[in-house]
Amino acid sequence: MKVNKEETRGELVTPGEVLGKSAELKAGKGAYVSPHNKTVYASLTGFRTLTYPLPDSPDTRPTVDVIGHKAHGAVPEIGAIVIARVTKVMARMASADIMCVGPKSVREKFSGIIRQQDVRATEIDKVDMHSSFRPGDIVRALVLSLGDARAYHLSTAKNELGVVSAESAAGATMVPISWTEMQCPLTGQIEQRKVAKIGA
Amino acid sequence: MAGKISNTPATYTPSPTSQNKKRPSIVTGSDWVRPDGRGLHQCRPAFLRTGAVNSASGSAYAEFGNTKVIVSVFGPRESKKAMMYSDIGRLNCNVSYTSFATPIRGQASDSKDLSSMLHKALEGAIILESFPKTTVDVFALVLESGGSDLPVVISCASLALSDAGIRLYDIVASVSMSCLGMNLVIDPVSEEESYQDGNLMITCMPSRNEVTQMTVTGEWSTPKIHEAMQICLDACTKLGMIMRSCLKEAVSAPEE
Repeated sequence: MKVNKEETRGELVTPGEVLGKSAELKAGKGAYVSPHNKTVYASLTGFRTLTYPLPDSPDTRPTVDVIGHKAHGAVPEIGAIVIARVTKVMARMASADIMCVGPKSVREKFSGIIRQQDVRATEIDKVDMHSSFRPGDIVRALVLSLGDARAYHLSTAKNELGVVSAESAAGATMVPISWTEMQCPLTGQIEQRKVAKIGA
Repeated sequence: MAGKISNTPATYTPSPTSQNKKRPSIVTGSDWVRPDGRGLHQCRPAFLRTGAVNSASGSAYAEFGNTKVIVSVFGPRESKKAMMYSDIGRLNCNVSYTSFATPIRGQASDSKDLSSMLHKALEGAIILESFPKTTVDVFALVLESGGSDLPVVISCASLALSDAGIRLYDIVASVSMSCLGMNLVIDPVSEEESYQDGNLMITCMPSRNEVTQMTVTGEWSTPKIHEAMQICLDACTKLGMIMRSCLKEAVSAPEE
């Protein structure tokens, strides 16, 4: 059935239902291809949507996705933008609890660490962790890798990544004034952070 | 019978109350009449609901006659620190009985066994690569044990996993069959299970036509096993359709 690009939701499918043949469809999110009989099956309960590729791409097959109906259940993936709260700041790294992955919040927090060399893109050996983050700061970060058994590796080495919201020593939410400084509106004190550039 | 010489001191024999009840001769004889009046190859009507537990990522409640089970799924969530890194997800299953589940209070029948069997039944159907480094916890609680507990737990767990948004190759449906003398009865109740000669349980993925687990206990002849497997697979397919319609209803109902 012809469906407009992601606008109308298709029919409701359950895991294991056949979505089509792999010769006609590519498997997107929520679907998988079974190699032995070349069929695309659904792997989630949700609505099936078809996305047609650009006219000049070599592969003319549309991609079928199954959009799950539940808004939670996010797991950090490589390349995902996450919102985390800094818990510990040490000499060479900072620990953070990942609270949101993309637009979805997680049910139970995941542990992440930001290493000294991943805080910013320039002069990475001269980074002072205490001038970049403090415990309690909310940061926007990128998942670099799955890391080890204990924590995901996060990075704030981009303009739009870094501290989004922080509390000053006086207890007020600080206002960013540059990419390294934030100011407390109550006392006027300036504190050092690696600030995220929000907006254009 | 040649005389038994009993010079040796009497060995211990268990007291009569703990021996199996004497099976009524009707079991070994001709047709067995089922206590709830069902046909030999008729399953109990199934009542399935998802979203029973709000605090869990996904949950389901199943009622098959007197067997009532509630399953909650938590995850994918962070593995415990002590666990080694794994690039595929982990599944952790736990089946427990409430103290009021059986007629005799506190008599849970090998629930540790059931946990590992539930694990084996489900791990073939979950796409573990989709949640590396994290764990999915499945907790099943048997509220009332009316026979055929493990198949109900497995089917209910698969609904709960789908409700939680965990990626599956297919839902799993499970049905068991008891051999009572010459009769094969499907979906046995506790009374039938206590008289059974053998039990066969099949867990399959109906849409892909693949079996994830098959358990055979007791005495079986080969043609009986073939017949039982065929009947169970048909029943699993039908149960699979009921489970799918339950999942679809759960999604479309709140939107009205």
